[in-house]
Amino acid sequence: MTDKEFIKITDLTRKFKENIALDSINLTIQEGELFGLVGPDGAGKTTLLRTLAGLLGISSGEVREAGCDLRKNSEAVKSKIGYMAQEFSLYGKLSVLENLQFFGEMYDVPPALQKERIPGLLAFAQLMDFTDRRAAKLSGGMKKKLALACTLLHQPPILLLDEPTTGVDPVSRRAFWNILNDLHLGGTTIIVSTPYMDEADRCSQVGLIYQGKIVECDSPENIRQKIEGEFIKIVTHDWQKAREIIQPLTGVLEVQSYGEALHILVDSSTKRLGQIQKTLQKNNLEIMEIRMIKPRMEEAFISLIRKIGQTN
Amino acid sequence: MSFRHLWAVIRKELLHILRDRGTFLLVLVTPTLVLLLMTYSLAIEIQHVPIALLDYDQSPTSREFMHQITAGDDLDLYENAASMEQIEDLLIKGKIKAAIIIGPKFSKDLLAMRGLSLQIIIDGTEPETGGFAVDHIGWRAESFANDILADQILTSGISLDSLEPIDLRIRSWYNPSLEPRIDIVPGLLSIVLGFPAFSVALTLAREHEHSTMEQLLATPISRIELLLGKMIPYILAGLVNVIVIPIIAIAWFDVPFNGNFLEFLLLSAIFLFAELSMGMVIGVFMKSQSAALALSFLVVLFPGFFLTGIFFPTAALPEMARMESMFLPGTHYAIITRGVFLTGIGMDTLWPYAIMLVILGAAFTGTAALFFKKKLA
Repeated sequence: MTDKEFIKITDLTRKFKENIALDSINLTIQEGELFGLVGPDGAGKTTLLRTLAGLLGISSGEVREAGCDLRKNSEAVKSKIGYMAQEFSLYGKLSVLENLQFFGEMYDVPPALQKERIPGLLAFAQLMDFTDRRAAKLSGGMKKKLALACTLLHQPPILLLDEPTTGVDPVSRRAFWNILNDLHLGGTTIIVSTPYMDEADRCSQVGLIYQGKIVECDSPENIRQKIEGEFIKIVTHDWQKAREIIQPLTGVLEVQSYGEALHILVDSSTKRLGQIQKTLQKNNLEIMEIRMIKPRMEEAFISLIRKIGQTN
Repeated sequence: MSFRHLWAVIRKELLHILRDRGTFLLVLVTPTLVLLLMTYSLAIEIQHVPIALLDYDQSPTSREFMHQITAGDDLDLYENAASMEQIEDLLIKGKIKAAIIIGPKFSKDLLAMRGLSLQIIIDGTEPETGGFAVDHIGWRAESFANDILADQILTSGISLDSLEPIDLRIRSWYNPSLEPRIDIVPGLLSIVLGFPAFSVALTLAREHEHSTMEQLLATPISRIELLLGKMIPYILAGLVNVIVIPIIAIAWFDVPFNGNFLEFLLLSAIFLFAELSMGMVIGVFMKSQSAALALSFLVVLFPGFFLTGIFFPTAALPEMARMESMFLPGTHYAIITRGVFLTGIGMDTLWPYAIMLVILGAAFTGTAALFFKKKLA
């Protein structure tokens, strides 16, 4: 039976001097969830993950995690957590194997169990051929995989990963997420922060954090459906001018730019498609592409953040 | 306390010392290097100072006097000058550092017990060497005159014993010839063993800078396991120096080692514990390596020079500074090293200093543990 309130955060606030990094956060995460934490830079993703890892004190509020009260005793929870910091945080002078053994010792994994688990971890991190290489000499993707392997040796029920795929090439990113998916299927509760919206789509739950607040928390499907309206994608030869023209049109709720392309949120695509097309042609703008698209997490995310910005 | 945690940190840190060139040099090479450098620059003995002589007296007494002046290694006769002009020329050219002019009435005055008529000219551009020459010529002249006077008195039939009711003789024990080198090497040991303390201060800051601290703090390791695990490897590295440096001191500088070496190792380990704990306190407060290094210089190195009694006796310090010196492990260790090397005393005499070091080490480590939080902010 899974614990419905495996991680329960109640009114959590964390201040750094005058700066409020986390603003009365309420969040419940079920056991076995693959929880994606998304939000712009500086929103509080790292602060929240560090707090859950017991690395930061709590200014006010409560955090219960795997049966431990973090406020009272943040040390008790540490053996139940595998935490992976955002920056590379292994020992560069130690080899791949030595790093694994070091963290195995730190988490009190008996030597026999270490021997049993390390080959498997090396295999799934694709580091079998690099066991004696110094960690500092690994590529970016390998470092991330080694860091993940180091957090998995003690088979923690909770994994906290702070932007584990930032700076990793797309192929390694995909491999990394396949690993996370396996762990998720194995029942590990995973909280992962990410700046990539396609990654958020792979989570079972997504929490949007903005200015220290959780502004949305739901499944990716539900979050996408929260967008009122539909998206039209337009590619023109001058996206800046096109943007200026489209923005004030009636029925246009939002214009997001993606390189040369504009994603336009409108109240009804059937009503507005022709209208936009005509206006652009009137202004002598050549249209290379115009079509309806389904909103992705990315559009949903930007739209949600903008809405909050407007109400504030 | 988990010994597995402790040993894992010790092992990791030892590997780091061996594999990181900077740390290796700082911990295992720098102490010996600095000791050699400082011994050579601080314990220089001036020798073979070239001097010239202008003898207006030309008597057997003056010739005997000159012979005695240049009998040692300290002063060398460069030239028997014929005139003041020649002496001036030699001084200007830098051929000689000092000149002795023996007056025409030198032997007559001396034999008539009217004192010595002697003029010494020195090269004022090198006051150190000149002062050295004046001192040495003075001592030699004094003893020469005393011998002559004693002869005079004896030949006139007066017993010497009745003339010297007070016989003051200064004898310096344990370093009979007062050679500075001997005294300085054991003292310097307490300064150069400060370098492992630097490394301890740096090792915590390094973990912060490389964000390995974040990963480490997320594990169930306890504060004291982490702090001791960080310190013990550097104590071991320090002990390597404690073995190497006395060997150099004995073999190279002819410093006597009169004590028991095992006791010395034990006392040194206790000192390293205290000294490195001081480094640990610095490391707990300084989150960057550069700040930790700067503070180590201020707290470990400079007081080591000025307050531990190696160069300036602690008795001569103002009261506040003397109190401060009691809190420096180096002050107590300087007494221990000198005692063991020169006097040959051991634990039975030095135990109060050992206890003081244990107290200091415990206090510093306690402070470090108290202020070291397993939190990032």
